[in-house]
Amino acid sequence: MAPASKYLHQSHRLRLAILAAVAISLFVPLIARLWYLQVIKETAFIERATDNTTETIIETAPRGRILDAEGRVLVDNRPSIVVTIDKEEMATVGEDALDDLFFDLATEISRSGSLTKVVEIEDGYRSNRYGPFAQVPVVQDISKELQIYLAEYSYRFPGVNTTVTTVRDYPYGSLAAHILGYVGLLSEDEIASVSSKKKTYLANDEIGKTGIELFYEDALRGTPGTKVVTVDKFNNILEINEEVPAKAGSDVQLTINIDLQALAEQELERGLNLARQQPTKFEEEGVVIFNAPAGAMVVLDPRNGSILAMASYPSFDPELFVSGISQDDFDELTDPGNYLPLLNRTIQGQYPPGSTFKPFTAYAALDTGLIGSRGILGIDSMFYDEGKFSIPNCEGGTCEFQNAGEAAYGDVDLRLALTYSSDVYFYNLAASFDILPGFDLESVQVAARSFGYGVRTGVTIANEGSGRIPTPASRREAYRENPDAFLTGQWLTGDTLNTSIGQGDVLATPLQIANAYSALVNGGTLFAPNLGKMVLNPITGDTEVEFSPRILREIYLPETFSDPILEGLAGVTTWRSDIGTEGTAYNAFKDFPHEDWPVSGKTGTSEKQVEGQLIADYGLFVGWGPNPDPEYVAVVVLEEAGFGGQVAAPVVRRFFERIARNIVPRYLNQDELDELAKQELEQSRLNLGNENTEEEEVQETS
Amino acid sequence: MRDTTSKKKFNLNPTGDPWSPWLHIDIALVLSSIALAVTGAFMVYSATRGNNPELYDRSYLNRQFLFVGVGTAAMIGSAYVPYRRLRDWVPMVFWAGMVLLFLVLTPLGVERNGTRAWFEFGSFQLQPSELCKIAYIFMMANYLERFNGRLDIRQLGNALLLGVVPIGLILMETDVGTALVFIAITMGMLLVAGAQAKHILILTVVGIFLAVVVWSSGLLQDYQQDRLTSFIDPESSQTEAAYQQTQAQIAIGSGGLTGQGFGQGQQTRGEFVPEQHTDFIFSVIGEEFGFVGSLVILGLFGIVMWRCMRTARKSPDLLGTLISCGVMTLFAFQMFQSVGMTLGIMPITGIPIPFVSYGGSSAISCFIGIGLVLNVHMRRYQVVR
Repeated sequence: MAPASKYLHQSHRLRLAILAAVAISLFVPLIARLWYLQVIKETAFIERATDNTTETIIETAPRGRILDAEGRVLVDNRPSIVVTIDKEEMATVGEDALDDLFFDLATEISRSGSLTKVVEIEDGYRSNRYGPFAQVPVVQDISKELQIYLAEYSYRFPGVNTTVTTVRDYPYGSLAAHILGYVGLLSEDEIASVSSKKKTYLANDEIGKTGIELFYEDALRGTPGTKVVTVDKFNNILEINEEVPAKAGSDVQLTINIDLQALAEQELERGLNLARQQPTKFEEEGVVIFNAPAGAMVVLDPRNGSILAMASYPSFDPELFVSGISQDDFDELTDPGNYLPLLNRTIQGQYPPGSTFKPFTAYAALDTGLIGSRGILGIDSMFYDEGKFSIPNCEGGTCEFQNAGEAAYGDVDLRLALTYSSDVYFYNLAASFDILPGFDLESVQVAARSFGYGVRTGVTIANEGSGRIPTPASRREAYRENPDAFLTGQWLTGDTLNTSIGQGDVLATPLQIANAYSALVNGGTLFAPNLGKMVLNPITGDTEVEFSPRILREIYLPETFSDPILEGLAGVTTWRSDIGTEGTAYNAFKDFPHEDWPVSGKTGTSEKQVEGQLIADYGLFVGWGPNPDPEYVAVVVLEEAGFGGQVAAPVVRRFFERIARNIVPRYLNQDELDELAKQELEQSRLNLGNENTEEEEVQETS
Repeated sequence: MRDTTSKKKFNLNPTGDPWSPWLHIDIALVLSSIALAVTGAFMVYSATRGNNPELYDRSYLNRQFLFVGVGTAAMIGSAYVPYRRLRDWVPMVFWAGMVLLFLVLTPLGVERNGTRAWFEFGSFQLQPSELCKIAYIFMMANYLERFNGRLDIRQLGNALLLGVVPIGLILMETDVGTALVFIAITMGMLLVAGAQAKHILILTVVGIFLAVVVWSSGLLQDYQQDRLTSFIDPESSQTEAAYQQTQAQIAIGSGGLTGQGFGQGQQTRGEFVPEQHTDFIFSVIGEEFGFVGSLVILGLFGIVMWRCMRTARKSPDLLGTLISCGVMTLFAFQMFQSVGMTLGIMPITGIPIPFVSYGGSSAISCFIGIGLVLNVHMRRYQVVR
């Protein structure tokens, strides 16, 4: 260093040196700290900077559509504007001002037409299912006008944004609501279970809750896209580093035909309405009112097990579930007083099948040889039906059984017993199973199970009921569990008798009945019914998966068995004897075009025991045609509606008649209806001019 | 006051050219300070240009270059007139500065971030406390020079009374950081001017005592206290100050050894660090140029400070020594405090890094400071009286 100035004293030099030392020492902590941050901790900080500046955005993919067998769209997607709140930003207004903000927002949204409670918004804000930075959806499906309004007055609503999502759209309204099911927000349980699924779910994602939406969830769900982006402090996107586009879910095509579905729903409802118009019956036990509150109808193709229509009444509007159903609406739909509109009675309703069960008892008798050349009766041999049946050597319980209405049919063979639905004939068979040595008392149960009763059919829709085929063992089990419900845990001969005519503890879903009859009329092939036909690529329309018919088993059903049964059942709709005795559905199928479209059927009238209440019988009918190779099997169950032949058979008749005469109306969706109305309006405008001239002409002639 | 006879004796320019002092200009000091300022301007650009490559915002860059240009002119101007002649003007300039410091407290001043320290002229702001630093250094040097290197208690007291005026006014702006700079300058100059060790010790104790009193008196707002304490454990704190320091450290740490490159800093581009173009600009340097680049910047400061100390030693009189020491202390303290707060080892006090941070008042006052040191250096062969 150059020599210091001469004026400086020694002490000055020392003081300058001290100052210099202090200044130099200042660099030490700075450099040490820089070394620590940039060299020792470099990796950790790079990671944190990356955390800070990169964000993964998940883009939801639209759900696949649901189509009918012809490709018409039953469930579609439409855009919906959603009000979301940014919790972090909203929190900046302070806890006190929040209430006012919620109130203002609810007022504004309600004023636009989407009635919204303050508490709904507050719940969204307080909900902890979303992360602190998530946009929490609070009100769905708002109007475009409100979206613009909220954007314009955003300063009044800090943290309130709108986004557009897609929601389910139902072009055919409530048609096939039970089949389609609905989607809803993931529940807590579902959040846990979807984590193992291949497609990613987010907290505010929707998932199929019931029906096809649930069963084909994996196909319908879109694959969310991901975008890894660099963002700034304010979450503005600076650049996109990586992008995997969202992939729409696949379309699911059903075996359902919209026209048949609509027809089935209409005829089912009409059948119930007509049943309600029956006069109240006054019986010894009390007053019987035909409430006919509910029913089900299912139509199967017996050649392959495809379900063509599936109607359950009462129904619901799936539109209610779009954007979340209100608690009031949901309570109403799940109220037993409203007969549980959400219940799909075709698969969840479990009914005593009544006389529709008799063909399977007949099959059991044929299969075991009880009827036949070496059995107690020949196929053609007559049995005298005196209208009642007493159990020989009766040991307790009910010992005397009667035909419905105490009718006596006189001499009946197997065919006529089915045509007239003679209980006594089948009681005789059942008693023989029970009493005769060498015969299994569970023969009827074995036969019923081979036709699919008592177990789920395996239909491709969720929440199917299994029905019930009672056995001595199951009776003991039931008694042990609930001794109050039965007089005894003992299986009595009377129980076998009841079982043989589909009463007692026998329960079956309408679909089980339809499926069992399908096997009966198609030569013995028992299918697992299909609702899904195929899975289609949503863009190209190519088939991704095709669901072929699923054969559960081939039942041993030689023509020597099936001919007498089917001949007897053909008589149900057509036979009238010289003395005026007729098939149980003869009246219902009067003037039906039997020659072109031969139809058979079986009626059933089952008693449902309800404690302390006298309710009307359940009316059932199973019909199929055109014989001899039926393409349709239809089952109708009408609750508390009376005789199957009187109330249920006409429903099937009207349904089949449209098919037989080829006049199934084309069911139009809302757009098509609008188009039609427009055309008609134009037509009437054109006609207006003509009408005037017509009027003039009329005046002239008069 | 120029003494022509002494000039003859010591002047290495035998022609007697009045420009002769310019032959002794300290090139290293000029170059290193301009290097700092130019680097700073580009850092300001990196911190403010925005993220749209087609619409990069050059306005901050342009303005900063304007400030550097004006500052360079001011440096030349303040080196031009011999500092001993400037002495006559110092009291007037100083008290005018005090008037400005007072006026800034009136509605004429503008408040930003809780501090009332600016005048506004169109799109330009003037921060009088920045310019007053230099006036204060000169004023203090001017006062202390006359005691010839030994201060008794009365003289020390007078010097402190002189200091209380600007410090008090600046504290009223609630600009604690700048007040600390004034205190540091005062201490540095008193040390060199010959304050006695025991007096310095007493002053230090009294200062600490006063600081504790102020801290616990409730005179400080919560956010001010947060700013002063958040550096101790910024990760656990939720305040804006803690956030700022955490983000700054992330930026610096992620720069690593050699940095992410000019304009490539993730944190900088995302504008995660508030005030990254002013007080926290070191986070940009750390992120984009890494450890090596940071050392270069610190090294440039080292050169500036070394040249100031060298000038202080070579000054022909105590006035020059005190001026040089004051300017050196100003740079040293501001650099340490500002870089330290960005690195998370000092409290947040909101003072700019000399030359580097965006801001006209700061840049110009720094260059005037350099100009005064050059002034002393140039005339080191001119004997006093």
